[in-house]
Amino acid sequence: MPSKELPGRSDIVIIGGGIVGVTLAHELAKRGEEVTVIEKRFIGSGSTFRCGTGIRQQFNDEANVQVMKRSVELWKKYSEEYSFSFEQTGYLFLLYDDDEVEEFKQNIAIQNRFGVPTRLITPEEAKEIVPLLDISEVIAASWNPTDGKADPFYATAAFALNAEHFGAKLVEYTEVKDFIVENGEIKGLKTSRGTIKTGTVINATNAWAKLINAMAGISVKIPIEPYKHQAVITQPIKKGAIRPMVISFKYGHAYLTQTAHGGVVGGVGYELGPTYDLNPTYEFLREVSYYFTKIIPALRELLILRTWAGYYAKTPDSNPAIGKIEELSDYYIAAGFSGHGFMMAPAVAEMVADLVTKGRTSLPVEWYDPYRFERGELRGEALQMG
Amino acid sequence: MRPLDLTEKEHSRKVTIYFEGKPYEAYEGEKITVALLANGIYWLTTSTEGRKRGAFTFGPVPMVVNGIKNINARKTKVRDGMRLERQGYGDFQETVEIDEGKPVGRLVVDVAVIGGGPAGIGTVLEVQEHLTVAIIEEKGWLGGDLWLKGLPQEGFGEKKPQEVVNELVGKFNENVRVFKGTIALGVFDKGEYFLVPIVTGQNQLIEIMAKRVVLAVGAVDNILLFENNDYPGVFRRSDALEVINVWGIAPGRKVAVVGAFPEEITAELERWGIDYVVVPNPKRVEGREKVERLIDMNGHSYEVDAVIVADGRRPDINPITQAGGKLKFKRGYYVPVLDSQHRIRDGIYVAGSAVSIKPHYANYLEGRLVGAYILREFGFEAEPCTYEERLKDYEPVAVPVHKLPLDEFNGDDVQICGCDVSLGKVDNVVKSGITDLQIIKRLTHLAMGFCQGRFCLFNGAVVVSQRTGTPMDRLDIPVARPPLKNIRMKVTAEGVEEYAE
Repeated sequence: MPSKELPGRSDIVIIGGGIVGVTLAHELAKRGEEVTVIEKRFIGSGSTFRCGTGIRQQFNDEANVQVMKRSVELWKKYSEEYSFSFEQTGYLFLLYDDDEVEEFKQNIAIQNRFGVPTRLITPEEAKEIVPLLDISEVIAASWNPTDGKADPFYATAAFALNAEHFGAKLVEYTEVKDFIVENGEIKGLKTSRGTIKTGTVINATNAWAKLINAMAGISVKIPIEPYKHQAVITQPIKKGAIRPMVISFKYGHAYLTQTAHGGVVGGVGYELGPTYDLNPTYEFLREVSYYFTKIIPALRELLILRTWAGYYAKTPDSNPAIGKIEELSDYYIAAGFSGHGFMMAPAVAEMVADLVTKGRTSLPVEWYDPYRFERGELRGEALQMG
Repeated sequence: MRPLDLTEKEHSRKVTIYFEGKPYEAYEGEKITVALLANGIYWLTTSTEGRKRGAFTFGPVPMVVNGIKNINARKTKVRDGMRLERQGYGDFQETVEIDEGKPVGRLVVDVAVIGGGPAGIGTVLEVQEHLTVAIIEEKGWLGGDLWLKGLPQEGFGEKKPQEVVNELVGKFNENVRVFKGTIALGVFDKGEYFLVPIVTGQNQLIEIMAKRVVLAVGAVDNILLFENNDYPGVFRRSDALEVINVWGIAPGRKVAVVGAFPEEITAELERWGIDYVVVPNPKRVEGREKVERLIDMNGHSYEVDAVIVADGRRPDINPITQAGGKLKFKRGYYVPVLDSQHRIRDGIYVAGSAVSIKPHYANYLEGRLVGAYILREFGFEAEPCTYEERLKDYEPVAVPVHKLPLDEFNGDDVQICGCDVSLGKVDNVVKSGITDLQIIKRLTHLAMGFCQGRFCLFNGAVVVSQRTGTPMDRLDIPVARPPLKNIRMKVTAEGVEEYAE
């Protein structure tokens, strides 16, 4: 169980106890660093709590493909070591016209170059993978069997438990209120439960990142805004009915799969914001029903049990801001994951831990340069999808 | 007459249905579940983890009807020659016929009243002269819990409850649209109006736009915890009253009544001459396919073929929290926090047993009261204070929060929720130190199934409170999310192509 006591000091403090903060604490603690996570609610309570389950390597640029290749290696390794479920049931992108096929051929070429075994498959092959699919309009599909899914809450709990095993302190129900800074150097943090002395702070608050940046007095513009995205779950059905994550850009940027419990879970592209509001909307309920039943007609007769909402912490190019902020030593940011932070977390943890402990990393972290926005060097839009 | 018929049914309506291949007598208009009960059939479905289940307590009742899987037997009426089979929870229809679907309806009214019990009826009668109203009732009848009673009720004179209801509803004028057998998916604030999407029994989606909303959504029967409390032959009080007084069918030949309010059912049983025994401290029910005996905490065994749980009711808080209301804990249950005019927020009122547990007549008065407040808001003459005064005669009922004998039960056999969530599973998580109901939900699936916690969340809170010593009013109760009731995805999919894409 996470400790409720706030330590008086800690070499490194991570603000935010979601999947990113917790995997990072785990990585740092494992390397022997003294690290504390400060979380205002409970571990995994923010977007991690509301997240889909998807883990994919099918991105459209070299950096993200490399990072996700590494991330999947880590998902595999840690799910085995810590016995939480990570199922490599694949990601299946359904394609409906030549333009889409052309775009995905290029993506697949990049993916293959870095050893991600994505293939373009026929509609019939797609239907073999998910027999419930309606393939009448599908002309091809992009299929990578090594993508997968994991339960975000269980995974976070497993990393949290093992982070503590390596000596990390996870402090719940504690909110960071202010930074203590002297001559451009961090001296500590004021929290709702007292002060903690530290020299190194990592902002892993994703949807709330701009609030923490403002608190730290950071002047560089790092535009991260919270957007409301919603999800739905149906009644549980027989296990194995929909094994991979199924994606359809044509039908509302829909993503859907089946949870370990049996329900069909997913969402669509429908986005509201910027907002911190999390009330599910009627419009989402309507759209998700329409698009899902287009992709899998059998869903028509399934009962919808519930909808809910969570944040995508979005940046202008849908890539996160990961790196050191030079104007305040030692302040780092790992936030703005734009809907695909859960899957990236283990690799991000490795990158940030490398930066903090060695000042460099072998993964292409410069792609996520926090200064790129101010310099006007936006990256190609990362595939923002489940 | 069938084995459990209490009344002679109209012979012209007789049909034959087949359950697991065998023919049975049924009557047109009957729901599958009651037709099978009349024939002495209780076990209708099997949960994911292999638990036998009936139709009259929590949990869904999916059945195979004429070869089609996953049909809700509670809502489906019998037809001559109908073939019925059992199925497990997870079975679903893999190939579906794409029916044409029904165009989405739209209706603009001044007031949408969700719930057709005495409170909802009271509101309608108060406002109908000046305002247009839609009243939305999930059951196939108006009158709510009052309709289920056979005996005269305080405040309504010596008339039988169903006569009282018919008389009141008979006064509805042309400003009133009645939707029976219809569920409301939620209340959505659109600024200028509230959107209340509803789904009729014919799976038609209708979008109601209303200036004011009244949540007259009632209370739900408490689920009493004992071993095998989900077993076929276990009845909630309201389900038992429904089969007796609406359908003329006995829950069993000899029944046990358990829970803190046995008198809410025993007078009705006596009226019909149904043999019963009151058992104050049930521990376990047993039987092969249905309840055959009840064993109490002292080890006494009672041979019965049904158990009726009459443990009081608590407000259905789901529509309250979905609509943005806050809760407080009072008299043993969670109630909406209301302003001086019975509102959870601007434009959304609450009346009836959704506010507090009290006699039907008091709920009716509260419905009138809320109606009077609304009339005033629209600038009409109304006198809410007269209703306020009369309501003062009714002190709401306190419902006991049981101390659960957690260590005396076999926790794996006690079902806290209809979706294979045992008391033991929840208790183990709480004992491991996790006391936030949000996390307990995620780890156990408590309140994540078909009922959205309507029947199980309260008991989950009791476990946390009891194990940790945290008072009930300090627990963070998860809010309900739309849809408030389960709907088939095809219903909300209908007509979206007009504006999607």
